[in-house]
Amino acid sequence: MKRKNLRDYVEDIYTCNRTRCGFCREQCPVYHIKGYETYSCRGKMLVGRGLIENTLSPSMEMAQILDQCLLCGLCQARCALNTLDIITSMRQQMVLDGFSTPIHRGNVERILKEGYLLDARADTVREGQVPLYVGCVYRSKPRELATALSVLERLDIHPLIGDETCCGYIVEATGFGKEFEAVQEQFKKTYQQFNAPEILTLCPTCTATLKEKYGLPVKHAIVAVAEQLRRRQGGVKSLGFRATYHDPCHLGRMVGIFEEPREILRQLDIQLVEMENNRYFSTCCGGGGGIHAVDPDLSIEIAKNRVRDAIRVGVETIVTVCPTCEPTLLRAAARLAGEVGIFVDVQSLWDLLDKALE
Amino acid sequence: MNTGQVDKAFAELREILGDRATTSPVHRMAYTRDWSPRYRGMNDLPDIVVIPNDTQEMIRITRVAYRYEIPLVPFAGGTGMGGGAVAWKGGILVETKGLNRILEIDRENMTVTVQSGITIEVLNHELTRHKLWLPHQPESKRACTIGASIGCDNDSTFGIRYGKIRDCLLNAVIVTGRAEAIRVGQRKASFSSTGYKLLDLLVASEGTLGTITEATLRVVPLPETRQIRGYLCRSLNDTAKGLERLLGSGLAIESAHANCRNRLHFYTHSYREKYGREPKLPAWAEAILFLSFAGDRDIVDFTVDKAAQIMVDEFKAEPVGEQELVEGWWDSKHRLDFVPFKQKWPDSQRHKKFGAADLGLPVGRLEEGYHRYLEIAEKWDQEILGMTIYNESPNKATASISFAVFVDDSNEDRVRQFYQYVREMSEMAIALDGTMSTYIGDGDRLGGFNQLEHGLGLKYMRRIKGIFDPKNIMNPGKKFQSRWIEYHQEMT
Repeated sequence: MKRKNLRDYVEDIYTCNRTRCGFCREQCPVYHIKGYETYSCRGKMLVGRGLIENTLSPSMEMAQILDQCLLCGLCQARCALNTLDIITSMRQQMVLDGFSTPIHRGNVERILKEGYLLDARADTVREGQVPLYVGCVYRSKPRELATALSVLERLDIHPLIGDETCCGYIVEATGFGKEFEAVQEQFKKTYQQFNAPEILTLCPTCTATLKEKYGLPVKHAIVAVAEQLRRRQGGVKSLGFRATYHDPCHLGRMVGIFEEPREILRQLDIQLVEMENNRYFSTCCGGGGGIHAVDPDLSIEIAKNRVRDAIRVGVETIVTVCPTCEPTLLRAAARLAGEVGIFVDVQSLWDLLDKALE
Repeated sequence: MNTGQVDKAFAELREILGDRATTSPVHRMAYTRDWSPRYRGMNDLPDIVVIPNDTQEMIRITRVAYRYEIPLVPFAGGTGMGGGAVAWKGGILVETKGLNRILEIDRENMTVTVQSGITIEVLNHELTRHKLWLPHQPESKRACTIGASIGCDNDSTFGIRYGKIRDCLLNAVIVTGRAEAIRVGQRKASFSSTGYKLLDLLVASEGTLGTITEATLRVVPLPETRQIRGYLCRSLNDTAKGLERLLGSGLAIESAHANCRNRLHFYTHSYREKYGREPKLPAWAEAILFLSFAGDRDIVDFTVDKAAQIMVDEFKAEPVGEQELVEGWWDSKHRLDFVPFKQKWPDSQRHKKFGAADLGLPVGRLEEGYHRYLEIAEKWDQEILGMTIYNESPNKATASISFAVFVDDSNEDRVRQFYQYVREMSEMAIALDGTMSTYIGDGDRLGGFNQLEHGLGLKYMRRIKGIFDPKNIMNPGKKFQSRWIEYHQEMT
């Protein structure tokens, strides 16, 4: 499929400009903190117009503003336009015009050279029956990966893990469209399970990327866990506490998995209290779109707002199921505890399953 | 704009606001439009954008603008349809949404005091926790702020029960063009007969007198329940007469909108989403009256039944059988709760832009207005979208009318044709003893031309502006000048 560029989205951008509803704006986690319309999707669509009509020139400042987008998709859920593709195409335009952020370029070069974004430190060899794609983040987290695999194995899901390379999400998301094509080729050459009827995934972002960009028949492993628990009808310990569930953007909004994690929590006898923004309209943890790499302070402020959402509904634990959301929220929770004197713990659903299946 | 003056002003604004003042072309670009029809390549770029956080900062910003005689343009939701919030003449654009705090919720006195940049939806979200709500609710409430509602005097879904923003407004703080902050109004009382009603002057002032920074509003208890209904009527006049009769019978109606049959299709997005087709209407149905009723459950049940009886027996109306169609109207007007990724507004404006003449007509001239609308839209080659009659005054049938068209905004000539349509519709309104605008305001469309409506009164309005804004820095051009409609010189 031909890669689209900014010019392919002219009519979409004009549609936003002539609509101006602003439904995307108020809840945008970045706009909420930064204050200028430019950080909202609606504002970016006017910047896009400026680029198209040559009233604005690409610049490093523009690239930096575009980099401060989470690509969380909340704007898209409030819209009828494919806002994420449009913003990504604007980022691509910046890269094409020579305004790329060095840290993003470094990541891209590393993925192209080494196949991974992060050091692969975990033992990933498994010779089971069910193909499982691990992804860069879990490969860099031995304990978290071991826990997830152990949970799966205790539920009679035996992963088959072979050679793989980075799915390339971050390459495309940060505007390196041409390089993403090379990463895709690399992935296709390396990944051994390309023809499998079903592939389990652990990382929400990889799940969305494998599905959307490679057309692979993916199933997030937590869905498989929910299915197994349904079949078993019990056999898990009651954990018995109150918690809220944070929907990772890619698992929820992008892939549509909202209920299985909640179903599992209920099976673990966890009293689920919903935050006001949940499911399709959940707000980002602050770790999306490569923002942590370019503006860690902004990332943490966004994450703190998400933790505040949990405090507002009176829970002491956030449960989530994403290797980016978990550490991002936990860092923010620790910082926020110092400011407001309330600590909200952040737990991985895999860890809870690990305890419940002991 | 004198760049030397702008540079000096910016240096001072940075001292005051730090990063909340910018001349970045990227940020300025994001403020080049509101929701008014504009052609491709038309961008009103401010010179500076500032984000004040409180009244004191707004005073300091205004002092800078006053000293250097630079325009100051308040910008809020950016959903206005009249060009009121764009920096037509450059200058300092004030992003008012930094003024977004709730200062007090006074449960005992049923008031809320807010900074003006809070959106109506966010405010109501907070009020809901106290089982209260602000019934001034325009369709744009997700983006629209309290300050914008005062400044534009926009419409409200619940106007027939609660009126518009003025009916909720108790007092407000405005930083005038003299860089002085004054609180005008009647504190927390509902009325005052002392002095002149300066609070009234703020309503629909469109930032031409000053920047509104705070407001105190009367709020009401959240109703226990709500029901919505639609009635197919045999004429537009029947909708007004039927409504008058319902109110005369003693029924309490919360919202009442009448649509011509064309316009219905704009409000049935969720119906289309669910059934994949346009709703079918009987051939005799010339109009639809949508109503909402709210309050205690038993009272609402009785009201719904009684209203149906009156509409059917006395006006030969027919209740809309497919409730999805009615729900579609309510989704558009109030809930704004569209299916994720399938929101109605961009879906409906992919090829042409929504535009409207927003006229006020006497309630007996609806049919006449409608037929003239069809003629005038055809004359100026505008695609007819339809007519909606909003009832915006408590407990009486009124006619704040959106005569809507789809505007081809691909080139300047087509957009100018739309404004010719607005001009002729406005002339029609005056000829029918009505008004040119009921919820959009003058903006950059009707200024000067509105002399047709106000006569010598316009000269007094200009004098009033001079008192608040002697250097004409507050949103210059708006209300007294049109960039679209030619008009004769003001009377002297």
